[in-house]
Amino acid sequence: MSLYLDQIRVIVWKDLLLELRTRERIAAMGAFAVLAAVLFAFAIDTSVVRPQDVAAGLIWMTMVFGGLLGVGRTFHLEAQDGAMLGLLTSPAPKDAVFLGKTIANFALLFMISLLVLGVFMLFFSVELGPSPLVLVLVLALGALGFVALGTLFAAVSSGTTMGETLLPILIFPLLLPMVIYGAGATSRLMAARPVAEVEGNVRMLGAFAVMAVAVGAMLFRFVVED
Amino acid sequence: MATAGIRRAGLALTILGLAGLVLVYWLSFFWVSTEMTQGVAQRIFYVHVPAAWTSFLAFGLAALTSGMYLWLRDDRLDRAAVCAAEGGMVFATIMLTTGPLWGKIAWGTFWTWEPRLTFTLLMWFIFLGYFMVRSSTEDPEKGKRFAAVVAIVGALDIPFIHLSVVWFRSLHPQPVVLKPEGPTLPGDMLTLLLTSLTVFTVLFFGLFLLRYALEGLRSRVELSARATV
Repeated sequence: MSLYLDQIRVIVWKDLLLELRTRERIAAMGAFAVLAAVLFAFAIDTSVVRPQDVAAGLIWMTMVFGGLLGVGRTFHLEAQDGAMLGLLTSPAPKDAVFLGKTIANFALLFMISLLVLGVFMLFFSVELGPSPLVLVLVLALGALGFVALGTLFAAVSSGTTMGETLLPILIFPLLLPMVIYGAGATSRLMAARPVAEVEGNVRMLGAFAVMAVAVGAMLFRFVVED
Repeated sequence: MATAGIRRAGLALTILGLAGLVLVYWLSFFWVSTEMTQGVAQRIFYVHVPAAWTSFLAFGLAALTSGMYLWLRDDRLDRAAVCAAEGGMVFATIMLTTGPLWGKIAWGTFWTWEPRLTFTLLMWFIFLGYFMVRSSTEDPEKGKRFAAVVAIVGALDIPFIHLSVVWFRSLHPQPVVLKPEGPTLPGDMLTLLLTSLTVFTVLFFGLFLLRYALEGLRSRVELSARATV
């Protein structure tokens, strides 16, 4: 068991270290998040709607699109110089590889979702409401579900001739529950509604994340076998 | 069963299904009583609901055979999955076109983000992804595995999609047949609905078997083409 955890840890560390050195994906996702918020600010006519009213939905859309940008490139580096073969022939089982990749992606996307939240507070002057920790939990659970499905389907789409173009077509229909519960909870919390009102959403987001991680860990081996 | 046998069975079921379809149309135009509040527009029900049922059946079959394919790696299971998924797409498209037509008259709007509408639309897109993944891999074996993964994840995600869209409440009529206190649909309407359900199911299996036989022939031709090269 501890060997298994070590294998996961090594893969997470490898990915995060690479990211720390190159800063490729985090820079792209971060810049995307800020620029998307800037465009949203001008896309909304403030004489018709108050930006605060639509902010929760926009936060989630920015997360989804920004996440797609980074998660889609999960296996980009491995696709070069036969590195994928090296990773797969390592003694680590395939599901450890998947979990490692997912955790590393989660770390990235979670940071980005906090950035998105900050940017929207700054540009749209949205309020976090009285329970910001619950809000962060909602974002974290959403990000976890997203990266689990995203990592699995990034492996699928990087094996096709269409590449990353295919990724949104494959995961957007699957992400609807996450967007409904996540954006619903976010807008209620921001409107200072009681936490009890979003308990159901948090539970469903948690269940969705657990399902996504379990399914990914089970099916990943079928995607990468060769 | 040999391919020729499957083809004959498929042909027989398809002809039976098509003849049944003529009967269903005749009954729904000339025999069944007109619904009181919605008038003649309600007759689209006898096409819409059976198409919905058949597409769910077909997509379920596709997900099931996909899962079995990943487990047993028998090419016949993969062929069955493609054929079922294609049938599902056809019947889901029928449901998605008859729905808005009926909705425009009954609800006054073509589209609404109502649970079952949203649900079907997403299922249609999940299986669109299934076909796109299959056709965009250089190695067909890889395409089969990828597509099976898409179908399985789709099937497991469906309960979540269903719960989440129901959370967004609805205009759609509540079930009139399958409910604890028994069907509330008037007798002749129920008879026609059940007839139509049977006919659509028979037609689906007819088309499914024909398509399956075709896929078998195709893989045989590909094998022999590879052998001669």
